[in-house]
Amino acid sequence: MALKKHSSFIENIPAYALGALDAQDASALEAHLQTCASCRDELASYRLLSDGLLAAMPPTNPPPSLRRQLQSNLPATRRTSSPRARIVSSWGQFAVGLALVALLVLNAFSFLQMRSVQQQQAQLSRQLQSEQTAMALLSYPGVKTISFNTNGIEGSLLLDRDRNALALFVWNLPQLGQDKTYQAWLIDSKEERTSLGIFRSDSSLPFTTFSVISPNDFEKFVGLGVTVEPSGGSDHPTGPRIFRVDF
Amino acid sequence: MSGPEDAELAAQVAQGNEKAFLAIYDRYASRVHALTLRILSDPMLAEEATQDTFLKLWNRAHLFSAERGSLLLWLLTIARRVALDRLRLEGRRPLLSDSNDIEDVWDQLPDGNSLSEEHRWRSLYFAVQSLSLEHRQVIELAYYQGLSQSEIAETLGWPLGTVKTRLRAALEKLRREWNR
Repeated sequence: MALKKHSSFIENIPAYALGALDAQDASALEAHLQTCASCRDELASYRLLSDGLLAAMPPTNPPPSLRRQLQSNLPATRRTSSPRARIVSSWGQFAVGLALVALLVLNAFSFLQMRSVQQQQAQLSRQLQSEQTAMALLSYPGVKTISFNTNGIEGSLLLDRDRNALALFVWNLPQLGQDKTYQAWLIDSKEERTSLGIFRSDSSLPFTTFSVISPNDFEKFVGLGVTVEPSGGSDHPTGPRIFRVDF
Repeated sequence: MSGPEDAELAAQVAQGNEKAFLAIYDRYASRVHALTLRILSDPMLAEEATQDTFLKLWNRAHLFSAERGSLLLWLLTIARRVALDRLRLEGRRPLLSDSNDIEDVWDQLPDGNSLSEEHRWRSLYFAVQSLSLEHRQVIELAYYQGLSQSEIAETLGWPLGTVKTRLRAALEKLRREWNR
């Protein structure tokens, strides 16, 4: 029985090396790889093959204009901080943060005027939790604020790499049907995704908040993406990407 | 291309050296573009994905580590992911080819005595081309379209077991042929 189970793991290794294994099989194989050196060797062999497939095609030159475009855009896209540099909160950043919290508070009060007491209390409770997280992040030294605007979806990301915490504020996020959800993903330097969790936009508010303190080490991640997934979320991105924020 | 030279160039790019960046671009843009074009099959989208890949190099060169692999494979890994993301974002259905319709500039058999990486990739390319149509299709969908085995089964209308068997057989054959 054990032999049969082991052979099934071996059979799955080629597909795993290509990233084509279904999520459940992939999880089982990953657990098995922790303890099986022969399977790890087998995987290494197939990874050489998958690496080779990346390059196994005739080279094709891009248009010359692409080189000129990159050359002229480079200085504008350079990130000035190294991954280990602390971003010290300046008074300017703190003032912007205070303005953001004030804006959140103002918007909360403007909606409180239009709802019943019971609904208002429920909304305030949820919003207060997000705002508390956001306010906590704002008061920490080393918090980075990143604004974004993608196809009319705009907002801010508060990021604390030292505490692996972030708060996301998004405006104009479309409402989804009950069978769909938004899912946030951390993105590493090889563009691999790690799920941060799912969230839904609130029809009663013009903005959506999502905050998390993650067990993952944020140092190895370079961005955050949000996709639309089936209700309950997915093991890896399957739906369209709504926006992406690079750290 | 020498490994240490690539690592040195990457380190210089991490310091903001544009000349080093353009040297890497000149060296590897054709490879990155070939991969993005293979995945996206659209010249404009492929150009955008190639640009995104090199912008990521500019912004993340400090994350490259020569100990973990070559700079080219690092770039191609990023390019594949960027292109697959774009494929999903565009909501595009997987494309299947039933012929070798890629313009073939590798029309010569590889030199059996050459040990260069270029030789290895060319021999793998020809090994892929020599696979049966079904085997090439599953590899195409799995690796160049980013589909899982279940998604491949749905796309091709095959039983899942058939997909698993054919993908495994195709890769085992490729590994055998490539390591000869």
